[in-house]
Amino acid sequence: MNHDPAITSCSIDGRAVFAAPKLGQCLRTFLREQGALGIKKGCDAGDCGACTVWLDGEPVHSCLVPAFRATGGEVTTIEGLGQPGALHEMQRRFLDAQGFQCGFCTAGMIMTAAALDEAQRADLPHALKGNLCRCTGYRAVADAIGGSVEAQEDVAGQACGASLRNPFGEAIVTGHARYTMDLSADEPTLEGLLHLKVLRAEHAHARIARIDRTRAEALPGVVAIFTWEDVPRRLYSTATHEDHLVDPDDSYILDNVVRFRGQRVAAVVAESEAIAEAACRLLVVEYEILPAVFDPEAAMRPDAPVLHDKGPATLGSRGNIYAEIHGEVGSVADGFAAADAVHERTYSTSRVQHVHLETHGSIAWRDEAGRVHVRTSSQAPFIVQQKLCHLFALPARAVHVFTERVGGGFGGKQEMITEDLCVLATLATGRPVKWEYTRQEQFTAATTRHQMTTRVKLGATRDGTLTAIEVRVVSNTGAYGGHAGETLAASLGGPLTAYRCANKKADGYAVYTNLVPGGGFRGYGSSQTTFAIECAIDELAIKLGVHKFTIRRKNMIRPGDWIESVWSDPSDVDFGSYGLDQCMDNVESALASGRGAAKPAGEAWLEGTGIALAMLECGPPTEHRSGAEMRLVSDGRYHLAVGSTEMGNGSVTSHRQIAAELLDCAAGQIDIINADTDRAPYDTGTFASTGTVVAGQAVALTAAALRENLLGYASHHTGAERAVCRLESDAVLCGDRRVRLAELYAAGSAEGHRFEAKRKAYLSPRTVAFNVHGVRLAVHRVTAEVRILHSVHGADIGRLINPMQCRGQIDGAIGMGIGWALTENMIHDDGGAVVNPSLRNYRIPAFADVPPSEVYFADTHDRIGPLGAKSQGECAINPVAPAIANAIADATGVRFAHLPLTPDRIFADLGPAR
Amino acid sequence: MNPFAYERASNAAGAVAAVAGHPGAAFLGGGTNLVDHMRLGVASPDLLVDITKLPFDRVEELPSGGVRIGAGVRNSDLAADQLIRSRYPMLSQALLSGASGQLRNLATTGGNLLQRTRCVYFQDVTTPCNKREPGTGCSAIGGYTRYHAILGASEHCVAVHPSDMAVAMVALDATVVVLGRLGERRVKLVEFHRLPGDDPWQDTVLGHGELIVAVELPALPFATRSAYRKVRDRASFAFALVSVAAALDVEGGTVRDARVALGGVAHKPWRATQAEAALRGAPATAESFRRAADAELAAARPLDGNAYKIPMVRNTMVAVLRDLSAEATP
Ligand SMILES: Cc1cc2nc3c(=O)[nH]c(=O)nc-3n(C[C@H](O)[C@H](O)[C@H](O)COP(=O)(O)OP(=O)(O)OC[C@H]3O[C@@H](n4cnc5c(N)ncnc54)[C@H](O)[C@@H]3O)c2cc1C
Ligand code: SF4
Ligand code: FES
Ligand code: FES
Repeated sequence: MNHDPAITSCSIDGRAVFAAPKLGQCLRTFLREQGALGIKKGCDAGDCGACTVWLDGEPVHSCLVPAFRATGGEVTTIEGLGQPGALHEMQRRFLDAQGFQCGFCTAGMIMTAAALDEAQRADLPHALKGNLCRCTGYRAVADAIGGSVEAQEDVAGQACGASLRNPFGEAIVTGHARYTMDLSADEPTLEGLLHLKVLRAEHAHARIARIDRTRAEALPGVVAIFTWEDVPRRLYSTATHEDHLVDPDDSYILDNVVRFRGQRVAAVVAESEAIAEAACRLLVVEYEILPAVFDPEAAMRPDAPVLHDKGPATLGSRGNIYAEIHGEVGSVADGFAAADAVHERTYSTSRVQHVHLETHGSIAWRDEAGRVHVRTSSQAPFIVQQKLCHLFALPARAVHVFTERVGGGFGGKQEMITEDLCVLATLATGRPVKWEYTRQEQFTAATTRHQMTTRVKLGATRDGTLTAIEVRVVSNTGAYGGHAGETLAASLGGPLTAYRCANKKADGYAVYTNLVPGGGFRGYGSSQTTFAIECAIDELAIKLGVHKFTIRRKNMIRPGDWIESVWSDPSDVDFGSYGLDQCMDNVESALASGRGAAKPAGEAWLEGTGIALAMLECGPPTEHRSGAEMRLVSDGRYHLAVGSTEMGNGSVTSHRQIAAELLDCAAGQIDIINADTDRAPYDTGTFASTGTVVAGQAVALTAAALRENLLGYASHHTGAERAVCRLESDAVLCGDRRVRLAELYAAGSAEGHRFEAKRKAYLSPRTVAFNVHGVRLAVHRVTAEVRILHSVHGADIGRLINPMQCRGQIDGAIGMGIGWALTENMIHDDGGAVVNPSLRNYRIPAFADVPPSEVYFADTHDRIGPLGAKSQGECAINPVAPAIANAIADATGVRFAHLPLTPDRIFADLGPAR
Repeated sequence: MNPFAYERASNAAGAVAAVAGHPGAAFLGGGTNLVDHMRLGVASPDLLVDITKLPFDRVEELPSGGVRIGAGVRNSDLAADQLIRSRYPMLSQALLSGASGQLRNLATTGGNLLQRTRCVYFQDVTTPCNKREPGTGCSAIGGYTRYHAILGASEHCVAVHPSDMAVAMVALDATVVVLGRLGERRVKLVEFHRLPGDDPWQDTVLGHGELIVAVELPALPFATRSAYRKVRDRASFAFALVSVAAALDVEGGTVRDARVALGGVAHKPWRATQAEAALRGAPATAESFRRAADAELAAARPLDGNAYKIPMVRNTMVAVLRDLSAEATP
């Protein structure tokens, strides 16, 4: 019965393959080695479905199938299902409904969906159990499988406001889109590729006394080992901002003190990943264990072990307190004295991870001229370039950083996590180096949303008018302080500004502890305080007997109000438009309509509704700038280069639409490249809701300048008055003469005229955007199961550049908000280790967990944002968790003030069954 | 993953011989648990004997009215099987409540019974765990115990068995048919999985090289009225916090017979014999159901993080029994 397993012969997408899988190899990596790069990895553990292929016609997770098992079998991957131009029906549906955003889950999603029979399609919550998507909230996936067509035609002159397809849509649904790690092994630049792996700290706080590398070095295939003694001793922050001074320079590439379990201790580069991993295990580290502290309140006490002592730049103002913010306007003491009712409670939010389906990773290599190229999964390639130059003392021209398609970010990639070590190793070895995070590393060694504990005290008069708001925020920033100050500031910004009240006071502390560091995460500090304040407003309303809509309407900010949190100095935030009132009305009438699912039968189900509102200042208070470049090319098409990253947020689609509107052409006439330090102008990064309001603004300014250039030349060329010249699709109309753009180009270049423009945009003033979320849900008093019956969302995001995409961003944010509210939580043990570093034990919502939402857009046109648009991707998450918590309180009469609201927690307080 | 050799077995005896004669060998079913463990470093067999091409892929009716399920039957096929759906709906429900379509397409009946605990420390090779490395201690005790046992645990291990399928099967009084070097033996499923005791590394009574060839379910006419209910963190896809499988035979308002088993509470799928005894002959009322649940839970010993499981099991059991008795008396 023995047979020689050395050669596996199988068919992959109809092509016969004879190859020897490595001993112990799984089908996923084997197929990718055979060139089937459409298959993705989200977990390597059977949890996410990104690796789904058909084995003899049946969908399976290829990461759990030993490669040998495919012997004699027939494997179908996304690339074999259909091809560009000859799409499989399901691929076409995903294209028509745009059933994706970043597209990283899409290959697996389509492979599962394409194998469903009719009965299974009728029960998608069940049928799609094995496929996770972090971007879409699944509504677009359901639309796609159901065959609805959402995408609209691309008509010249009508691009803006239309639901145009993503220009890379076809590549995404066929598995041809290339993400960071999708480089085939025979790529010439990758010759001699080395693999990097990192040994991680086993203690939460320790000094490294000695690292013995003899055994690891002796392992055949190991090329280099790096420890803290081998790296430039330069401090930096992994966080990326335009102004690097807002983050503390508290990190070394490799340090001799570890401050959280999971911190880098040593890096090994080797001929294969397995060898690098094995070598990590052979390193012997002697630690001098230091006392650790995990609770920020404890860390603030004078006797707490101090994490950082790297000089004034990093030392917090007091011990572990990295940042403190205090402010008061009016007098809260007077405000509370004037109140008829006061509500006070402490709320807390959980530490959660972004779980972008594509993990962190980068590949670095040097070209013959010695330039370093870094292909990475980043939201801020230009800042990464700067940081690399700083760390390795290189001039900017020596470093080229770029992205391919990025499989989700959500703020997690506003961080330099992998690039530095890859570059270090490339510089040292001269060979290309690749490092891809595992899913486990995402949880133990990337960044998280800051856990915050928020004490809220509100006072109001009998009719519900707020007299005082007081907030105390303690933010646990973990071992490093990237984003700590900015998220703390944000936590005391929008959520407090959203309410008009003469007396406001806030105290905030961002505190170092020995946990995985906090970072930027969609909602950026504001989400946490919104949760606390919106819960508190409901509790106050109940106390006063005022309706939840009434209390908010009475106190929410209105145009003309001074936009102010707790600082009295002037701010650059302004009302470019205002639609909060419409959002409230839309949510109220939708909830009142009785649509959505009925309460499940039985007295065990308790029903309740809840709402919450959120305000966003569109863009960060720090500097932010973007550039765009555009030119006409000889065939009459346009070429647009923008620095900002596309990570599923849809910026490449909307940037083309913005340019198309100004050039009166179809979006399809514009080719776009982005996020490349060689080929696109500088951009601070795609974060803080700037993709539209800053990068989009740069595109708008550039396109307008190019239009002037074109029309000016056309007028000169034809002799027609400038005033009678206008662009129309692929031509310029000059009076009654129509000159095709290609013709114009030919004429112009013959004369040395250049059809090019370049503009930059800066962010100021910043406009405001609003979101209101409402839910009706049922809580089962026996099992504490929560079922969302009706989910409605009002968004005030200005003009919709691409309605399908805007809706998709909101659906995705709601899905993420539901996860934060109900299931997601990183748990640490007493030693500071993450107990649940896998998608199995850290649960993001699956299809069944996210009901479809009704989304209503306020009818507003912003006078600050480009073409009337404002930020949209970020803020929608903020009101979701408090709306759910408020609805649960409404249903059960019990207030749950700490996220997540899991069955065991709800259960513990619900009391005995009836 | 560590390197391993791979063989595909063409007959059962050969498979048994191959594994029995090789201490580092393991049978490979669907691989959904084993391959995951190999990747995590929890298991590192040096020889995998693939048994999925053995002829154990059928669900057959037995002359006695019961059903014989081949060990190689895929979880997806078993859940969809007509015989199972009509005679033992709780089993079909249990299977569908677990894992995902892609996984069920791979996972086998035998492998499902033998899947190992999801205790987070067991899966993390950097932490002590008596089950993974005998004698190193139990990290869960005093650690994160939200998912752990309330019944039958020991001071050496407080893990729970994760299978949904096995809970339904244990309620149905299944028998496991095992082939060893000396021939076949039959083990009652209730006795197949062990309590942790002093040697928690032994999940079951199966010896090395013993192959599960089938699971037999005896006839149980009243199981046509049975249900499986699972409480979990996420609607779609998560192991049970607790689960209840039950079948109820009610006549004239009185419980004639009942089958109840619990998941997520113990090191093994837990047959609730105390509850069953309390139910037999009792009036089919919420009051009796509560009393039955209390009888079973009298022995429960919660840990720091899982006291919620006691009322949750009680509530869920009462709810399932109420639904079943309501079906019986329309
Ligand atoms: C992401 C994920 C989610 C899951 N969710 C759930 C869930 O909600 N509920 C649930 O119940 N399960 C769940 N499972 C577990 C899944 O059901 C099991 O992994 C599966 O049933 C194991 O079957 P297999 O055939 O793949 O076993 P394998 O992985 O092939 O084998 C498991 C063990 O059994 C041994 N073995 C296999 N067959 C035999 C045999 N015939 N005789 C003797 N030994 C044998 C193997 O040597 C191995 O030790 C989940 C699994 C994953 C990966
Ligand atoms: S409960 Fe059992 S499996 Fe979990 S750590 Fe303790 S000994 Fe290991
Ligand atoms: S990569 Fe295979 S299921 Fe996630
Ligand atoms: S589109 Fe599904 S994960 Fe990004």
